Amino acid sequence: MNIVELKQLRYRWKGQSKDVLHIPEFSIAQGEHVFLRGESGSGKTTLLNLLTGIIAPTSGEMRLLGQELHTASSMVKDRFRADHMGVIFQQFNLLPYLSVIENVTLPCHFSARRKQKAGDIKQSAIQLLDHLQLHENIRKSLVTELSVGQQQRVAVARALIGQPEIIIADEPTSALDTNTRNNFIQLLFSQAEAQDSTIIFVSHDPYIADYFPRVVEIADINEAL
Amino acid sequence: MILLKLTWRSLWNRRISITLTLLSIAISISLLLGVEYIRKEAKSSFLNTISSTDLVVGARSGPVQLLLYSVFRIGNATNNIGWDTYQTLADHKRVAWTIPLSLGDSHKGFRVLGTNQDYFKYYRYANKQPLAFSQGEPFSDVYGAVLGAEVAKQLGYTLESSITLAHGAGATSFSEHKNKPFHIVGILKPTGTPIDRTVHVSLEGIEAIHIDWKAGAPVAGFEISAEKASRMHLEPETITAFLVGLKSRSATFRVQREINEYPQEPLLAVVPGIALAELWQSIGQFEVVLRIITLFVLIAGLLGMLTTLLSTLNERRREMAILRAIGAYPWQIFLLLLLEALIIVILGCLLGCLLVFVGVQFAQPWVTAEYGLHLSTWLPSADDALLLLLVTTLAILLSTLPALIAYRRTLQDGLTVKV
Repeated sequence: MNIVELKQLRYRWKGQSKDVLHIPEFSIAQGEHVFLRGESGSGKTTLLNLLTGIIAPTSGEMRLLGQELHTASSMVKDRFRADHMGVIFQQFNLLPYLSVIENVTLPCHFSARRKQKAGDIKQSAIQLLDHLQLHENIRKSLVTELSVGQQQRVAVARALIGQPEIIIADEPTSALDTNTRNNFIQLLFSQAEAQDSTIIFVSHDPYIADYFPRVVEIADINEAL
Repeated sequence: MILLKLTWRSLWNRRISITLTLLSIAISISLLLGVEYIRKEAKSSFLNTISSTDLVVGARSGPVQLLLYSVFRIGNATNNIGWDTYQTLADHKRVAWTIPLSLGDSHKGFRVLGTNQDYFKYYRYANKQPLAFSQGEPFSDVYGAVLGAEVAKQLGYTLESSITLAHGAGATSFSEHKNKPFHIVGILKPTGTPIDRTVHVSLEGIEAIHIDWKAGAPVAGFEISAEKASRMHLEPETITAFLVGLKSRSATFRVQREINEYPQEPLLAVVPGIALAELWQSIGQFEVVLRIITLFVLIAGLLGMLTTLLSTLNERRREMAILRAIGAYPWQIFLLLLLEALIIVILGCLLGCLLVFVGVQFAQPWVTAEYGLHLSTWLPSADDALLLLLVTTLAILLSTLPALIAYRRTLQDGLTVKV
């Protein structure tokens, strides 16, 4: 089954005459971690917003996990995101007033499905953090005291908890140095694969591309450019 | 539940600025409740000035004026009533007791009231409370005086102090009754009524100091000594007013009509309760002003909260984006901000109530000692609850503004805020 299926997907800002995004055909198979490479202005942000259901396509089809999301209401898409997606941002992924564990378990409070899959959510969070080499002393410190690399790994744990099918990472390594970056990618891969999550990794950093079985230039699939 | 937890933790994270907002709301709430409380207490203490008296009788004028000079010692009577009229009405078959009142003199700015022993026997204030002495006893001779609590306190008088009365009501008078000093035989306990500011002497005493006076001035070369005057016939010719207690309250209006139609002399009898209510209404305008002022203070407090909420929106943009990414609905973001306002306002209300309660508890002994006013313990009434509900509703309405802004931004920003 394809995780993502796009057909003649178009997006155009209201009042504009030209599409910013037009993808005739694109799909991602399950377990096929994809590296989406694109400079700013390539339609990268628009594609991400479409995939996460923040904006609705102007026309075309978009199926995620077989579900037709191009016709779905924003409520349904919010629900879908909560249940099936883990999102990692470039930076500042965590709520400063929650503990590390609370940050990780947060998605389980917005999705009954992920909560049920996680079982004992606290235990599940601790396990994930352990696998991501965030051990007890780090788990107990304040979120604001963590290094950027540690914060990004906590964000990975949060994206993974409750085994969502899709992990969307939006330039999660751009604030990391080379060593931390490599370590981060390896950990992300091993944990995602352990629970059969498919990674969609968006970045303009060509060095990371080597880790991915499939690399896609956004400029190549976006015919609006 | 998670929203409530998030709101709470987020508030706790910003506790310093939130505490200040909370305080400003609590203070305006306590002001609002405090003013309401003072208004009620002032009204009840005002209405408590006289009790158990069925009628107040004086020369014909306005009911409010009669009440003011006879009960509150404010202003002057335009006319007196004859002693024989008083005697006749005091013997009326439905009348249980009367208290004659003779006003017109003063002592260092405090009004002097000429009366008789019945005053101490029958006068009631507040909830049918009789007058009580802190020292001494009622006067029994011509030159004995009984002081109200405040007079004794302010002027530092004790029993056996000697005072002279002045003609007229001013604080400094040029015509004093120097040759006939009075000695203090009793000091009353505080009552929280104008009695505290009154010097009580006998009707005979009033008569004695005026015996060698004519038309408001001493007659030159004609002086009668105090000792000699006290042995003279001291029955007054007129009094200013008198209080009436009836054998049966049900006869009040009947006796009132009879007095008002008294053929020999134009008289006015008023029912104190009715006249007091009328008087309170006429001076009750200040209530409205006070309420308007507190309302503005409250609005200032709420606007302060609104400012705090709005100013944090920018720094919380990232927070909202994270929650959206996790799957929070836009309405949950909206609710998050409403909840925040709700928590602040509810805590503000509780703290405000606490402030009033503690404030009243602290003020109680002092006010009782100083003014003889008994403050009842503050407890929220149904009116107060309604007021608090109103404030809460207002706060929620105001906070929809930042909530709507957050809601709209959250839709625009999506997951890609680069702040």
